[in-house]
Order: sequence, then C-alpha cells, then structure tokens
Amino acid sequence: MTHPPRIGRHGRSFPGPRGFAGPLGSAPRLTTLCAALVVGFTLLPGCGGGGERQADVEAGLKVRYQALGAKVRGMDPMDVGDVLGAGITSNIYEPLYQYHYLKRPYEIVPCLAAAMPEVSDDGLTVTIKVRDDVVFQDDECFPGGKGRPVVAEDFIYSWKRLADIKNVSKNWWVLDGRIAGLNAFREYTQGVERKQDVDYDRAVSGLEAVDDHTLRITLTKPWPQIRYYLAYLPTSVVPREAVERYGDEFLNHPVGTGPYVLDEWQRGSRIVLTRNPTFRDERYPSEGEPGDEEAGLLEDAGKQLPFIDKQVFTIIEEDQPAWLKLMNGDVDVGGIPKDNYGGSITPQRELTDELKAKGLELYIYDRPVTFWYGFNMEAPELRDNLPLRRALNLALNRVEYLDLFLNGRGIPAPKIVPPPPLFEAYDEPIDSPYTSFDLDRAKQYVEEAKQAAGGELPELVLSLGGTDTTQRQVGEYLTRLYKTELGLDFRVDFMDWPTLQEKTKTKQVQMFGMGWEADIPDPENFFALFYGPNKSPGNNNMNYQDDAFDALYERLKVMEPGPERTALARQMEQIIVDDLPCVFIAHTTSFRLQYKWCENYKPNVYGYGLMKYQDLDAEMRREMLGR
Amino acid sequence: MLAYIVRRLLYTPLIVFGVLLITFALFNLVQGDVAASIAGKNATPQVIAEIQAEYGWDKPLFINLPDVPEHGVLAVFDSQFFNHLWNSVTFDFGRSIQSKQAVSGLLARGAIPSLSLTVPMFFASLLASVSIGLFVAFYRGRWIDTTTVTVCVLGMSLPSLAVIIFGQYFFAYQLGWFPIQGYEPGVNAARYLVLPVLLGVLMGLGSSVRFYRTIMLDEIRADYIRTAYAKGLATPKVLFKHLLKNAMIPIITSTVLAIPFLFLGSLLLERFFGIPGLGYLMIEAIGGRDFPVINAMTFIIAILFVLGNLLTDVCYALVDPRVSLS
Repeated sequence: MTHPPRIGRHGRSFPGPRGFAGPLGSAPRLTTLCAALVVGFTLLPGCGGGGERQADVEAGLKVRYQALGAKVRGMDPMDVGDVLGAGITSNIYEPLYQYHYLKRPYEIVPCLAAAMPEVSDDGLTVTIKVRDDVVFQDDECFPGGKGRPVVAEDFIYSWKRLADIKNVSKNWWVLDGRIAGLNAFREYTQGVERKQDVDYDRAVSGLEAVDDHTLRITLTKPWPQIRYYLAYLPTSVVPREAVERYGDEFLNHPVGTGPYVLDEWQRGSRIVLTRNPTFRDERYPSEGEPGDEEAGLLEDAGKQLPFIDKQVFTIIEEDQPAWLKLMNGDVDVGGIPKDNYGGSITPQRELTDELKAKGLELYIYDRPVTFWYGFNMEAPELRDNLPLRRALNLALNRVEYLDLFLNGRGIPAPKIVPPPPLFEAYDEPIDSPYTSFDLDRAKQYVEEAKQAAGGELPELVLSLGGTDTTQRQVGEYLTRLYKTELGLDFRVDFMDWPTLQEKTKTKQVQMFGMGWEADIPDPENFFALFYGPNKSPGNNNMNYQDDAFDALYERLKVMEPGPERTALARQMEQIIVDDLPCVFIAHTTSFRLQYKWCENYKPNVYGYGLMKYQDLDAEMRREMLGR
Repeated sequence: MLAYIVRRLLYTPLIVFGVLLITFALFNLVQGDVAASIAGKNATPQVIAEIQAEYGWDKPLFINLPDVPEHGVLAVFDSQFFNHLWNSVTFDFGRSIQSKQAVSGLLARGAIPSLSLTVPMFFASLLASVSIGLFVAFYRGRWIDTTTVTVCVLGMSLPSLAVIIFGQYFFAYQLGWFPIQGYEPGVNAARYLVLPVLLGVLMGLGSSVRFYRTIMLDEIRADYIRTAYAKGLATPKVLFKHLLKNAMIPIITSTVLAIPFLFLGSLLLERFFGIPGLGYLMIEAIGGRDFPVINAMTFIIAILFVLGNLLTDVCYALVDPRVSLS
C-alpha cells in the first residue's frame, strides 16, 4: 500500500526576527489542510451536480430549464401583478378565454369556456357556456384528494374574491364598476370586521349561474373589452375549498385547472412545475398565420397538450449568472443582457456566428410598450406653451437615444399607440410633424416658446424614477440636449420609483419619465391614460384634459371593433400628437435567445399559460451538450 | 456581573422603543404612495382610499383623539404608531404589503441561506485575517510583511463587484470548478456556497488583515512580550498564549459587534449566486415601501445589536481580568 506524499512534510520554518524560531511550526499542517480544502471544494461540485438532470433523462422526461429574472411573490391569480409571476401562475390557473397561440392579429378563443360569449343586443348581458370536462387539480383540500369538476359558480366565487376589499387585490380595477352589484358586494365587505366573516354566498345581481355550466353576467354598461379581460389571469377560476383550507397561505398552495401543477417551490431560488395528470383534452392549434407552417409551428397540430413533462425555473436576478448559465446550456432560454449585446448581435440584428455555433436561435419581437416623458398639463408653464412642448419633442433624437440606452432594442415612438400588429383592427397613419428629430426646428420653437411665455422660460425639472447608472446617463444626455443644445433652464431630479409614483399621483412633478405596457390588444388601453376623469391619482398622470378627446373616448370605450371604431381611434391619436402632452420616446423590442432544441415557440405578448404549446427535443440537447 | 447584565437588559425596551419610533417616523416621512401601488395600475382614487382604510393608514399617526368621544379613552392608542408598536413587541409582523407573504415566514426562509453564507465567511475570514495579521506582524518590515500589506491595499482597491464577476466567470464558468449559481436547502447547499464564501473571504481580507496586523504590531512591541522571551518561553507560547490573549479586546469588539449583521446576509453575493437570503429582502422592502418587512428587520437587528453589545462587555470581563462589570 502506497501513501500519498504528505504535503509540507519537508517544509521548513521561516527564520524569525531576532534569530529565534518562527511561530509557524504548524505551517506544514496548515498547508496540508488548505490543500485538502481546495481539493475538496474542487470535487464537491461534481458530487451530485447533475443528479436530478440525469434522473430525469433516465426517466425519459422532457424537462425545460429556464431562468427567472425575479422572485415570484405568490401564486394567487387575484394578486399577480408582475409579468414573471403571471408567466408561472398562468400555467396553473386558467381563465375562461385565451389568446390563439398562432394567429395574428391577436384573437381570443375559448379556454375554460365552451364557446365565445353571447352578448345581448344592448351589450349588457353576456352569457358564457363553461366546459363540462374541466376539473381542478388534485389536492388535499378536496374530499379524497381528487379535484372536482369546475362549475359556473366557481367563477362567481373567484370574481367575488377580487371584489372583496379584505383581500386588497391589485387587480380589482379589472372588474371595478363593470358588473351589476359587484361594487355593492365590495362595499359590503368594507363593513365586515374580519376577513373570515365575509359571506361569499351573498348574491351579486350581475353574476348568475344559470346552471352548472352556464354563467350569465349583467354589465353596468356595454363592455366590448370583456373578452380580453376574461382571458386575463386575475379572472381565473380558483376553488373555494382551497381558499378556505389554506386561508392566507393560499398564495403558496396553488390549485388550478391548468396544464401544470406546482411540484416544488424553493422561495427565491427555484420553482418546478410538472404535468397535470388530470388536464382536460386540449389540442395544439391546427391553423395559424401565413408562414407558421413553413416555420414548423404546425407540426404538432391536433396533438394533446402539454408536451413538456417538467418545467424548471431558476431565479437568477443578475445578468451575468443568467448569461453564463445560458451559454453553459444550464438553461434553455434567456434574454441578452445590455453588456452582452454587442458581443452577441451583429449590426444587422442577427446572432453572431459564435452563438449560432452553440445552437442558439434569436427571436425579435415588438412589445405593446410606450415610454415617454410626460408633462404635468396642470402646470401652466407647460399647459399654456405648445411651442415649448413641440421644441422638447423635436429635440429628442429617438434613434440615438435607443442606441445609447437600449442597445437599439426598440423603435422610435412618434405617438402613443405602438404599431401593428399589436393592436386588433388598428392601423394608424397619423400625421405627427413634431415627434421626429429636428434640432433646428426645435430651436425655432424655443424662440416661439419664449414669446409665448412673455420673455424668459421658467426652469424645467424632469423627475426620473431610479438612481442607477443608466438613469444617471439618461439624465446627463437629456441635460446636454435641453440645456446645452436648446438653452433651456433644465435639470433632472432623480428619485426612487415609489417616490416618483407618489409625486405623479399628487401632481407634484412638472415633467416625469414613465411608460405603459398594454394589458390587452385594444388601443383603448392607451387612450385611458389621457382621459380627463382619469387624472391623478388615476392613471392619467399627465393630467391631460381635452373635451373632444374625452367625448371620443367615451364613444370608443363601448364600441365593438370595426372601421368606425378605428376611425375614432385615429382621431384620438391625432388630438394627442397635436397637443403633445408628453415627449414620446420609444416602443420596446424584446430579444429572446433559445437553443434550437426548443420547439413550437412563437412570441405572444398578451397571452399567458403558453408553456403548454411548447416542446423540446431532449435527444438533440443531450447530443449537443453531451449531458 | 449578573446585576450588570440585568441592568443592561432593562435598557433594551427603551432602546427598542426608540428604534421603532425612529423607523416609524422615517417611514412616514419618506413614504411613497403605497396604497396606490397596491391598488394596481388602473386604480381609482376611491379604491386607493379604500385600501388606506383597510390597512389603517387613514388613522392618526400617534394619538387618536377623534375616536375618544365615541370609543372611550383607550381609543387614544388606536393610532398607526401604537398599533405598530404593539404588533412589533408581540412579534406579530403581519404580512408583506408587496407580496402578502407572512413576514415571519420571509425572515425564517431567508435567515438560513443568509447565515449559511455569512457564518462560514465570517469565521473563515476571521481565522485567516487574524492568522495572517499575526504572521506578518511577527515578520514586520520583512519582504513578506511588505508584500502582504501591498497585496492587502491592492485587494482593498478592487471593487467587490469586480471580484465577484471575475470569480464567477473564471472559477465557475471557465474552469467549471463550481456551480455558476443556485441554491438547494440542506447539505446540498454546500456545493453552491463554496465559491461565494471564498470570494467573500477574499473581498474582506485586505482591510481585516491590515486591521489585525496593526493590533498585533501594538502588542508585539509591548514589554510583556520581551519579558516572555527573556524568560525563555517558546515563540508559539508567547504568541498564542500571551500576545493573542492581550489582543483579544479589539478582536472581540470587531467580532461580536459584527455578529448581528450576519443575519442581514450579503447583498451582492446573494444576488449573483442566487442564494435566497435576507441580503436583498431589506433593499426590496425599502424600494417597495414594504413597511412590515422593514420594521421586522430593523426590530430584529436592533435586538441583536443590543444583545451583541452586552455579549461584548461580558466577553471583555472574561478575557481581561482588569475589566470588571459592576
């Protein structure tokens, strides 16, 4: 038997000062310990590192690995208010309708409903048939642990939860003022002392379960957007048994009807969803838009959903580890951090050869997002000075701005509503002469603005939410632009996001940076931001008021889609770009990378619960990664 | 000593009251529109007002005089501050405003990962820096001392972020020695914690080695060391028995007072290595004006800090016979 050489056995003590022996008689032993630790640490990651992956491979499971950019706070659809949380929760809970996975412009199709809603001639009564083959996921809240069938009454219960003030739902606004008697139910809950004493059997006049599978909704006024909001995650169905069993902890015990069930949730670290064994018969769509077939998106037409057995999400909040894990093949899908953009994307907006060789594919798609610098239109120096607002718009070089701060990931916004095909039945040639870059004209308008102001212009203060480096750089850029180039008395005030929200809600800002992502593919969603009665603390933070615009908005809001509605929308956009209550900046574009073993992916900016359509070729991944 | 400890403990409620008062006052001074953010993006003013009433934010801040005629004299305490005070001292931290998760659950879930990271980091760092400090102090003025001090200064000049980014890229991604990021509960956590702990030790080593070197240098020049050598004691005995014991006061001060802050975790390391600790919880809570979380964290840190101070004093008395607690 041989013994390994003992590290440090022949080490010698350092000669100490004053000629006596050094203190490190134990130094060789320390060295041995250090070496052992390094070896141990080095070997440790190898121990069981790919254990779970290997077990899944051996079990023949299709598993997809994804990074999540933030922690999921809870999984109660009533309270989901962020995109990431909704992206996970919507695979467990489902609403009555959903977006067609492939068709564009976006189209609503039944999900838990058996058919599209029937709307009465006066637009006030909506009748919906609920599928009779849907059951809640198995959970111990049900007798025997077996999920029971979903009935119409479950939707009424779920929507009453949204209304219950004791639940303080973030998403009450979806139903606020829409359904007869629901606001009265909310008022009733205000008077109830304790949360558990709210009587959910109390009738709501506008919500009726005609039978187990027929739901009748009586609206307070016509609501053409109802089909979109019935495809919105917060209106998903939840089982009363689970809410009552888990109480305040229901947000940690999701029990839905969706294609996946929550298998594991290590808070702040990892979420695992597995296939719901009792998921109903639902098939992959058989038709899409032109090009889908060529892209291979119809190869799984008619097949039972979902395709992937297990979805593993790792929470990675920093860009570098998310990027390294994507490059390593530890996750199948990811975005491109700002700092990695230059090395990943060519000037032609294609992937570099290096990333292509790794097997990555790039998807670029527009989001229904608009960013702007809003003017507080109750501040007289801005409200009464149209030339100044024009100058501020004309001076902004949106292309340069996008290149500098968004890696060019966006398109300049000459107006509020993003371009097609993000919005149904809305195509918008709008005359917008003041929202493209022209510094000379901007300077001319500054002179006009001075005349309009009767001499010198007052100080302009732009409030920005965020104190990070990028915001500071934006501040420097705008200061150079407006102060140096235009000669305005301009400065930027940085603050954190809640402070900016507070200040805009209380009208304490003069100019402010903000943005909006549409919830539904209806331009009404953007126009609401300019509607007079929605002024702060409502979502009209610009406090814009125009009677003609308001009148048009009130007509458009209750109108079904069609040419007449589109014409109204154009008129409204024209009013906005003529009045310029803000500096329009950009609409954003998303860049997504995924390995080519991921299949059936098509960007969908409104829909949730889309993982059921996606597939992957686990064999290809094994071959390419060697594991 | 017991009387001293009891007396110090009796001060604790006063200190904690002060901390709660300051936290409450600061929060109300800078509070953003929390109700508006809870109400969602399309909320009406009425909904915002309903939410304020539901959380009791419509009550007077300190003294509730308006309710006295109707509800009696005790109603004077039905104010935001006294409700906050009562909830804190009964350890009823409620639920996070932003996530609706129980605050006690958030703290319990975050404390273990945080401590799993910070405790080994702290002790490894302490052991390494005291040892290196002692070593270079012993060889003061030699090349090894100069080199160590130079490396320490260079290390202190390196931003922590750069060390983390480089360490993660090089050791985890390029060399593949460690997982890039992740965390698992239980013993499996060890494989994810090794690299962040090593980097954490590395980041703190520069300043702490210099600190302990200075302490050791003060002691190594003292008369009692010369006397010990003159009496013929061996160097290890002089250093480890006499010098180290006399250097204990500053070591204890810096060590024990740092212990409460281990609970707070390490913001950057947790973020970069995906360790679901408390490091970012407080930052997120401040950003989201999540007062129940801020309050719970502040309250617990205040108590730990008071206890840490007391422990420091007790340790002084234990290691230094010249110190007596009375």
